[in-house]
Amino acid sequence: MGELLKTVLHETHVALGATMVDFGGWHMPLQYREGIVEEHLATRRGAGLFDVSHMGRFIVRGACALAFLQHLLTNNAAALDPGFAQYTMIQSGSGDALDDAYLYRFVPGEYLLVVNAANKDADWRYLQGMRPGFPGAELEDVSERMAMISLQGPSSRPILQGLIEAGALPEPLKNALATVSIAGTEVLIARTGYTGEPLGFELFLASADAPLLWDLLREKGATPVGLGARDTLRLEAGLPLYGHELGKDPTGAEIPIFASPLARFAVSFSPLKDAFVGREVLAAQFAALKKIRDEDYSSRADLPRIVMPFALRGKGIARAGFRVFKDGREAGFVTSGTMVPYWKTDGIGLSTRFTGEREMRAIGLMLVDSRLRKDDTVEIEIRSNRTPAVVVPYHMRSDAPPHAMPILPHRREACPTPGSGEWDGKVRGLLERALENTRWRQTECINLIPSEQTTSPAVRRLSIMDPAFRYAEHRTLPAFMDAEVFYYQGTNFIEGVEEMLNAEMARYLGCQEIEARVISGQMANTTVFSALVDYLNRNDRKAEPRRIRSVLNNHIIRGGHLSAQPMGALANFVRIDPRLEKPAVVNFPVLPENPYKIDVEAAKIIIAENRPELIIFGKSMVLHREPLREISTFLREKGIDAVIMYDMAHVLGLVGPHFQEPFAEGADLVTGSTHKTFFGTQRGIVAANWREGEKRYALWEAVRSRTFPGSVSNHHLGTLLGLLMAVYEMNAFKDPYQQAVIQNAKAFARALSDTGLTVAGDPAISFTETHQVIVKVAYAKAVEAARLLEANNIICNYQAAPDEEGFTAAGALRLGVQEMTRFGMGPEDFRTLAQMIRDVIIGGRPLKEEVIAFRRRFLAMQYCFPDEAFGDLMEKLHRMI
Amino acid sequence: MKKIEEIHLPDELRYSPDHEWVRMESTVARVGLTDYAQDQLGDIVYAELPSVGIRVEQGAVFATVESVKSVSECIMPLAGEITAVNAFLADDPAILNRSPYGEGWMVLVKPDDPAAGERLLTAERYRAQLKGEG
Repeated sequence: MGELLKTVLHETHVALGATMVDFGGWHMPLQYREGIVEEHLATRRGAGLFDVSHMGRFIVRGACALAFLQHLLTNNAAALDPGFAQYTMIQSGSGDALDDAYLYRFVPGEYLLVVNAANKDADWRYLQGMRPGFPGAELEDVSERMAMISLQGPSSRPILQGLIEAGALPEPLKNALATVSIAGTEVLIARTGYTGEPLGFELFLASADAPLLWDLLREKGATPVGLGARDTLRLEAGLPLYGHELGKDPTGAEIPIFASPLARFAVSFSPLKDAFVGREVLAAQFAALKKIRDEDYSSRADLPRIVMPFALRGKGIARAGFRVFKDGREAGFVTSGTMVPYWKTDGIGLSTRFTGEREMRAIGLMLVDSRLRKDDTVEIEIRSNRTPAVVVPYHMRSDAPPHAMPILPHRREACPTPGSGEWDGKVRGLLERALENTRWRQTECINLIPSEQTTSPAVRRLSIMDPAFRYAEHRTLPAFMDAEVFYYQGTNFIEGVEEMLNAEMARYLGCQEIEARVISGQMANTTVFSALVDYLNRNDRKAEPRRIRSVLNNHIIRGGHLSAQPMGALANFVRIDPRLEKPAVVNFPVLPENPYKIDVEAAKIIIAENRPELIIFGKSMVLHREPLREISTFLREKGIDAVIMYDMAHVLGLVGPHFQEPFAEGADLVTGSTHKTFFGTQRGIVAANWREGEKRYALWEAVRSRTFPGSVSNHHLGTLLGLLMAVYEMNAFKDPYQQAVIQNAKAFARALSDTGLTVAGDPAISFTETHQVIVKVAYAKAVEAARLLEANNIICNYQAAPDEEGFTAAGALRLGVQEMTRFGMGPEDFRTLAQMIRDVIIGGRPLKEEVIAFRRRFLAMQYCFPDEAFGDLMEKLHRMI
Repeated sequence: MKKIEEIHLPDELRYSPDHEWVRMESTVARVGLTDYAQDQLGDIVYAELPSVGIRVEQGAVFATVESVKSVSECIMPLAGEITAVNAFLADDPAILNRSPYGEGWMVLVKPDDPAAGERLLTAERYRAQLKGEG
């Protein structure tokens, strides 16, 4: 006992009654009084507190530090920006791991490498031994002076937030870092962990301060967790443990790094890494893995076995070392296995709830023949009984914060086939339900979804008239001096409509060119991205086209629209940055005191550094004007030749002196949705102000050809006709409408704030400059609030605020005043509505009947041409259906 | 883990050095795990019991009890035929932790030698053994 090492929290563990064991030479807590099962469950439900100070912590700094890391670790340290961490391996030259590790970059000048306690001495000797090859690289063992504590689980976030005196939690992205002050001490925080919890933090601080921090965290409700539950938690999360899934297998043979499912996160073959240790053999493993994923086993010799999660189907518990059989033949070994507890759930999708009951399941990881696949059954030899088990893709998922969700193997259910009942009943049912839905939404609900609008009766009638069934493909032909040539017959009417639409829309937006054939805002954006790639390659159509070099946009977590993200329409149009190994997209920085507003000065620095080819303004969670003028002026001054695109989406209906005039302020291209604040049918629009002869006019021509024939063949002529009427309405009524929308939004925001709700934005300008108001409810409570409001006939969106990890953890509501403004609500009415909203979500009062009565006062549409003025024509149209 | 003094050892039972207890109930002996055994094991998550009707010799393994971290063999304190097995342990092995002497009994045995139980350790002697061990 006297030889075992102790962490700075050793006395604390003993005082808490922990059962202490020898772990790799350290005297560590296996469990505390409640036991392993309770500690595991407490982490999944609340927050687990782990002393991980026994792990090794090395600082790497100095000249050659980067080259040293690139050579000896598997990750791409050149892609590791300050403020982030990466999972990595210390690899042998023969393709197996000497250790797995995490590399943190809290500050520019140095890297912190955290390694497993059991391998610390061997890792240190190895790294020191390799140092002479990298003169100037310094290595410092800080394991003693720096302690490490882990806090994992859904309650970890509020617990930690409640203790921070200065600074803030890291951004809501895995591996993000931050430095804060707690109880007068500097604490480094990383969004990393070993439990699979979507919310979790590893904390680094001076050893002397660790006991105090531990006690503070415990006081706030964190449950101390020992090594026993640390193992069950990581097993449930499918995370590898050195000595089981990495290193050597039960027979003593080396386990290839790519046998582990996390290898592809830890290993990089970036050109920025040299011929690093083990590169060739790892590349061969990776090549084999890619083929195996496609069921091509020709290179199986390079990766004969892979670690796979399994769930036991029979009785018993599978343990490390037990043999695995497939169809009677030995297929591998269990690498880790035990019985783990989980919290039961019922309901589906967003309605999933924890019931409060717990269950146990026998699960594990096994190193088996790489030809095995998900859903395959195997047999595991448990004390001479061959017990059935099934290969599963994972035991748990972390994509619905704040909770980790246990995933049990399920039996596939047959898709329900539609009943072959009488047509009469089906048709009647559909008509009745459609009537009911329209009646509900149009006469009984207050519609506050910011991206929606109701069109006028005139627009609606026109949208379903004859051109709705027709085609009118057309393009310009140089042989006819770029006149539009229509391919179909019977198109005279729609030709005229398109011409008038373009002219009227150009007048509205204040520009020369309009492309109205795109049928959604997202399609408009895809068309622009596609056109830009086309334009960039216009001088050489024979070579492999190059993609957009670099894009600057608003990140989705700060309200940027899906379209502008690599995960959305931008996918495949922007090149992969070889340093970062991901799409070359940089994001607009925001003001620290207002995450809804771009920090113009910081943005200029990013632009100068990155020289983006495309800048995309515009958001779906939007409270402010975009700094178009400042940025376009800056680009001109610096001679930076970027294309400025403003995806006006939500705010297309506000174009004008009361909000923004995009072309006057420097936009090259404007895209938008014609159905949000704009009065139109659900379509998109692309607009530009270039004239023929201008250099960039070729980009406009590319927009047109990427629309047709690139994106549409049928461009939905019915809604196109309706859109023309809508543009007439916009041009006729925009001045009073736009003023009313903005005035109502400000009044609504102020009123909501006055009722005691937290409204996002700057109170000095009444919180908003647009049609949107954002109300903060409480972390992860917005889905519930939105559903409660819907149950009371008030329809709005739940929305993740910029500091929230994902939509399932959404804590805010997004409200838009545009539709109800069109039905005649004024500032006083929005004040009444604000009180009703407060009464529903805070007071818990059922107000459905009051809301229905309230809506009855606002059924007549404003800002459109009165039916009576064209009475007979409207009537005739109506009867043509 | 409990201190040895805190381990609960009812006086009317007899104990084996392998940490089982025995209660003679007319012609059968009821056998289970001692409070010391369940405390050492931690959360018991699985128990594998023998079939009714089989014979087990003294000193042989008659059951396996598993915690999260370990597998433990239970040693038969007296030779005989298994006449009953506690079916509740299949669904709720944690009973062994909660109530080792009550609901957590494991098997009923018809002993070859009805007096074998008397030759096992008294509570006092068993506790002394634990102190020596611990």
